[in-house]
Amino acid sequence: MGTEHGDRRWDGRDLPYIPPAELTIDPSLRFHDDVDDKVDPVNHEVLRHALWNVNVEHGNTIMKISGSPICSYGHDFNPSILDEKADFVFFGPFLQYLAAVSSTAAKWTLENRSGNPGIKPGDMFLTNDPWVGATHQADVTMLAPVFVDDRLFCWVANTLHQWDLGGTAPGGFNPIAEDVYWEPPCIPPVKIVEGGTMRRDIEEHFLRSSRVPGLVALDLRAATAGCGVARERILQLVERYGAASVKATMRKLQDDSESAFLRRLATIPDGTWTEEAWSEAALPGDRNIYRNRLTLTKKGTTLSFSSEGSADQQGTLSAGFGAWRGGVASMLATTLLFDQMFAIEGALRHCEFVPNAGAITCATRPAAVSGGPAVTLIQAVGLSELVISKMLATSSDPELRSEVQSCMGGASYPVNALEGIDQRGRPYSSMLMDPMGAALPALSWRDGQDTGGYAHDLQSTMPNVEENEQIHPMLTLWRKEITDSGGAGRYRGGNGGEVAFVPHKTDRINLVTFASEMAVPMPGLFGGYPSSTNAMRHVRGADVIGAIVAAGRMPTSTEELDGETEWVAGKSFGIQLLPAEAWVLGWASASGYGDPLERDPEAVRRDVADGAVGADWARRAYGVVLVGAGEGLTVDEEATAAAREEIRARRLSEGVAGPAVAAEAAATGGGEARPVAARIEWVDGELRADDVPLGPASGNYKRAALILDRPLEEANPNLQRPGVYVDTELAFRQTVCPRTGVLLQTEIAVAGAPPQWDVRLGSTDVRDVAAPQA
Amino acid sequence: MTQSQDQETSYRCGVDIGGTFTDCVVVDDQGRITLAKAPSTPPNFARGFIDVLRQAAERTDQDLETLLGRTSLLLHGTTVGTNVLVQMKGARTGLITTRGHRDVMVMMRSFGRSAGLPIDRLLHVSRHEKPAPIVPRSLIAEVSERIDWEGDVVLPLNEEEARAAVRGLLADGVEAIAISFLWGFANPDHESRMRAIVEEEAPEIFVTCSHEIAAKVGEYERTTAAVINAFIGPATADYVGQVDGDLTAGGYRSPLLLMQASGGVMRAAEAARRPLFTIGSGPVGGVTGAAFLAETMGRPNVMACDMGGTSFDVGLIVDGVPIAGSEAVINQNTFYMPRLDIESIGAGAGSILWRDEHSETLRVGPQSAGALPGPACYSRGGTEPTVTDCNVLLGRFATDSFLGGTMALDHEKALRALESLSGSFDMDPVELADGALRIIESHMADLMRQLSVQRGRDPRDFSMFAFGGAGAAHAVALARELGCPEVIVPLGDLASTWSALGVMTADVLHVYERAALLSLPFDPATVNAIFAALEAEARAELEGEGFGTAEIELSRVVEMKFPLQVHRVDVEVPPGELDETDMEEQMQRFVIKYEQLYGAGSAFADAGAEIGLFRVVARGVLPKLALAGESGAAGEPEPRTREVYWRELGGFHATPIHDAASCVSGFAVEGPAVIDLPVTTVVIPPGARGVVDEVGSIAIDVGSSAGSEATSTGAIGGHHGH
Repeated sequence: MGTEHGDRRWDGRDLPYIPPAELTIDPSLRFHDDVDDKVDPVNHEVLRHALWNVNVEHGNTIMKISGSPICSYGHDFNPSILDEKADFVFFGPFLQYLAAVSSTAAKWTLENRSGNPGIKPGDMFLTNDPWVGATHQADVTMLAPVFVDDRLFCWVANTLHQWDLGGTAPGGFNPIAEDVYWEPPCIPPVKIVEGGTMRRDIEEHFLRSSRVPGLVALDLRAATAGCGVARERILQLVERYGAASVKATMRKLQDDSESAFLRRLATIPDGTWTEEAWSEAALPGDRNIYRNRLTLTKKGTTLSFSSEGSADQQGTLSAGFGAWRGGVASMLATTLLFDQMFAIEGALRHCEFVPNAGAITCATRPAAVSGGPAVTLIQAVGLSELVISKMLATSSDPELRSEVQSCMGGASYPVNALEGIDQRGRPYSSMLMDPMGAALPALSWRDGQDTGGYAHDLQSTMPNVEENEQIHPMLTLWRKEITDSGGAGRYRGGNGGEVAFVPHKTDRINLVTFASEMAVPMPGLFGGYPSSTNAMRHVRGADVIGAIVAAGRMPTSTEELDGETEWVAGKSFGIQLLPAEAWVLGWASASGYGDPLERDPEAVRRDVADGAVGADWARRAYGVVLVGAGEGLTVDEEATAAAREEIRARRLSEGVAGPAVAAEAAATGGGEARPVAARIEWVDGELRADDVPLGPASGNYKRAALILDRPLEEANPNLQRPGVYVDTELAFRQTVCPRTGVLLQTEIAVAGAPPQWDVRLGSTDVRDVAAPQA
Repeated sequence: MTQSQDQETSYRCGVDIGGTFTDCVVVDDQGRITLAKAPSTPPNFARGFIDVLRQAAERTDQDLETLLGRTSLLLHGTTVGTNVLVQMKGARTGLITTRGHRDVMVMMRSFGRSAGLPIDRLLHVSRHEKPAPIVPRSLIAEVSERIDWEGDVVLPLNEEEARAAVRGLLADGVEAIAISFLWGFANPDHESRMRAIVEEEAPEIFVTCSHEIAAKVGEYERTTAAVINAFIGPATADYVGQVDGDLTAGGYRSPLLLMQASGGVMRAAEAARRPLFTIGSGPVGGVTGAAFLAETMGRPNVMACDMGGTSFDVGLIVDGVPIAGSEAVINQNTFYMPRLDIESIGAGAGSILWRDEHSETLRVGPQSAGALPGPACYSRGGTEPTVTDCNVLLGRFATDSFLGGTMALDHEKALRALESLSGSFDMDPVELADGALRIIESHMADLMRQLSVQRGRDPRDFSMFAFGGAGAAHAVALARELGCPEVIVPLGDLASTWSALGVMTADVLHVYERAALLSLPFDPATVNAIFAALEAEARAELEGEGFGTAEIELSRVVEMKFPLQVHRVDVEVPPGELDETDMEEQMQRFVIKYEQLYGAGSAFADAGAEIGLFRVVARGVLPKLALAGESGAAGEPEPRTREVYWRELGGFHATPIHDAASCVSGFAVEGPAVIDLPVTTVVIPPGARGVVDEVGSIAIDVGSSAGSEATSTGAIGGHHGH
């Protein structure tokens, strides 16, 4: 990967820091890189476990001392162990998208701090600079070098989301930031702990801009104590097993994860896979949408991720390169390294992340980046899920294909920050954590998990309604899963959720919103329907509690409330919610996998009986006709067959041929078929859906298929007309097999755009990162 | 407590029902112990219960009726409720909850997808899946009502909806009903009224209100507790009723007492009403028993370790009191329940050795060969090498006297199983066996480290109590790994049935809780009023159970937190009428306790402090169990020897082997040595020294090498070895 970009450098000043293959390090810093050439299998297993536990203990120490809800519920932190040159050994079992941060920051520190002020035993360095590698300013990284015999043996590090570090909006996300100067200050790596002592000058400097310096001081201690515990444990292991033996286990962990990764890659043909999604509202009042595109190219033993084709950096939507890279990499760990304890270095040795300077995925200074994680970063996680899945779908290994998944829910986290005077007369400032109950994606063999949380977190946690009401002056009207929200498909995406509340025992609640995925949902996979969207509603002019008491009945949906409903924009501030009014926050579901008409009608019946899907949507999306009710609910098989036939016939009659001529006659010969998508195979250099030819594998199968554009609202009953939020015309585009009417792929298209070329098989130059055009 | 006034020998019986065996321990008033063991008899466990008592009666030369008539206390640990829950075979259960909130049980706060999973399953994110619901959405009825955080009624209970909800559920054929409203514990009026309506509509049905089970904030965990209680209620009530009836018919005149997960016992009638509290009580007896024995031995701090065939369970006792928790996770369902904090990993005598093909390294567990096919050396068809096979190959386990000689272990089969794996590692089978033991011991030590060091406790201050079938074989290595100075094998061979004995050492225990949010400065009048009410309730209940004033012990605890931090900490509260000074001291106690647990400087007191929960733990003290010393033949027979592998010595050495006959009070043994007891093997490595005390427990000084590298890198492996 080059380190030059025109005449500017990837040095972490204006452009993000991208470590060169060989770091330039001051010769005064010596390394401890003795390695046993033979690894004892017993010692290795003991040390592997012990090193993993060093990370767990490190993480527990942070949670214990910090005690912050962000840590405990949001899991917005992660510890890591890096080797002496700052490559990953282990990354902790907490938030995975922080994956890229500490290694990059430690490498920058090696290059820029080894001479002055020097890296010495007992030191720790702190940084939150998004251009050095932080996901955003609120995520502060602590780096602790570990020395053995005055030589640098390894690093322990952590990243932890802090309460507030200053800037014009409280908390981490500023919806009105026009550039980085509106935001918390960026701090390149500074030596906060020197020879074991925290430097008071640096600490006070760090705390000075915060609205809650006492709490940030506590988080700072949590971070240093975590590193301290981890460093001590590693030194104990070194003392007992010998430095060369511990280092041998570190190397073996990296090498083992590399060989596991390569073994898996070897089952996959070369190719290029693309996916795209859209964000809206760069700033309050903006009604445009912005593309976020991810292309994955596999060539031989290398994966290359590129965001070519993504929108230029915009208002509050931009993310730093480290944020984007971390988002993409998080899905590598969960889909390809789950049995390697997420030891991601082995994979990173074979991955390129192509920086797209000036795009929303690679902001250049002075773009605003504080909001990036809630929008562009999480969206990159979802896109990564989809492109990696498309790639894994071509694997000859069925185990690997079983990791194929649609897009998770909440691929933009709808931040609702609350502030005001609580029920005890004290000021408070907080954020709703309910959307942590996002939804897990559909797999290629199983439905997604309704409100199952995030795919890049191992255990997302929603607060109890009672906990929310105990700390905020609110009364929750309902909190529920949203019927029909999960993307339809042969396997259904998990449903999203919704919470509604009124201010209670206060005179008002002040709200700030920061969200995307309001107008445009995330795409489905291989014929699966898209997700639902985030939605925030302000219901005014309704005496909510008065009406409840008068009727003697609690409402369970917005439709049951009087008053006027305002659909709130993704980026807004200064909203005042009065006691007579209600606020309704819905969060996006996961998308679906495969053609919904291929779903087992019995599974649809179960969903309807359970309330996860409504009978009307069962009929429209799945073509399943049900009769009876309750335990007597049954599938009318004849009517279902007819309904499905009717939908297929409509697809065939209304679909139009792709932009180019249909493929030639089917190739002869019966070579071994390789799977490509749910209903597409690759035989003798050609793509086929069943026996229908779709053209050469290196071409766009959509050219040989029928394309059917429908209004976006038809993709999911919970979608609003995009016109509520944006001026762009959008379509739910379906790619249909021209003979069978089976849905091969879906996408969300700006009206008039050519069909996305999302799968291109065959050898491609990895450096040819230009997005393939149809 | 009423006791039989028999002038004859009187007995105390403990019965512990496990999945395979039902154990019975009988202690007479001279402290003499008799053991009985009978097969468990699922699904009707009550039969095995009587079978084992009949056997105990035979062994004490009397008939069942005589034994029962002379039994002053019968204490029982049951897994009936746990089994019903784990196998999801409970009653068809309906839930009635606040309109707008029925999804609490299906959302599971989102973390239900992976709650309680071991690490290998936790990391496989695509496989995360919420468990099948205990109550499907179709059996959850919503009723309009609303109470706020202060207990104020926002919307009165809609009685029309309430009645319709009950009728709807009954029409759907439910056999039990749970009632859980938001803030139903802050003001129980709506739940109580709802219960009355259910009872009017269906007088016989099993009903549970959430505030009766857990009076604390958190509707997911509280509702789940209520639902589980209802789900296992009918089956547990039937079982308890049958056992209680059989015992009464058999001549037992005192109340039957059932073990709770909290470490205390409760009367049969209460267990039938609140069966939830018996869930997970299986391993609790071991910890309770360890606390009892540790007190008599003057050991305030104990790590109680139970190593069986498939799992390794650890509970901690600090200053004589077992560490308690208030939440449990079963089948990924998280619920409130007072319990002893016992953590478990899949590491046991049956743990299987295997080769990870990706990394080409040796792994041990968590899969276990269980009882069938069992370790290869059991000759029951198992061919995969297990931890037991390693112990056999290394000479640590006797092949001819295992399980009192009733079961021969096949050395050859153990060797063959290990050979099948050792070749691929370029190791000989002995190296492999010792390596596997080091690995499993390091896993166990990691768990113990999490419970001690990571929670602010220093293992050097602890004694390790080792029980369960395999505990005594590995304990010294574990203790050295952690830096514990001492291992106790409680009552020698009884270590393997320690849980059944432990059940008998428990007191009657009730927990009373009230949630109320108090901010600084705490109002002493409110605190006094709440504790007075809880204590009055506690006394009334214990007095009703026959305890006199002197036998009633009440202790007070408040759950405190800092408003901006999430950790809740239990802080003791002094008895009696409290004033402002006490309140200030309460705040100081909180800060001290908080920093003990979470580290110096971790308390953020600038934002004040809160009390969220008041708790009274009420103990009806039962007469202390007295144990007799072993007065066996003091003559020390010349020990046999066996070739045993010692990693500290780098190979096999002729090692003295002692047996039960030599294991009498005052007997001392220097390592290396092995004590072959009928069902327990005690391994005493070089440098350690064991002494048998007057009740037959073996106290092992693990030696000066505690915590040093000598334990695991001595002979093979490690940087010294290469």
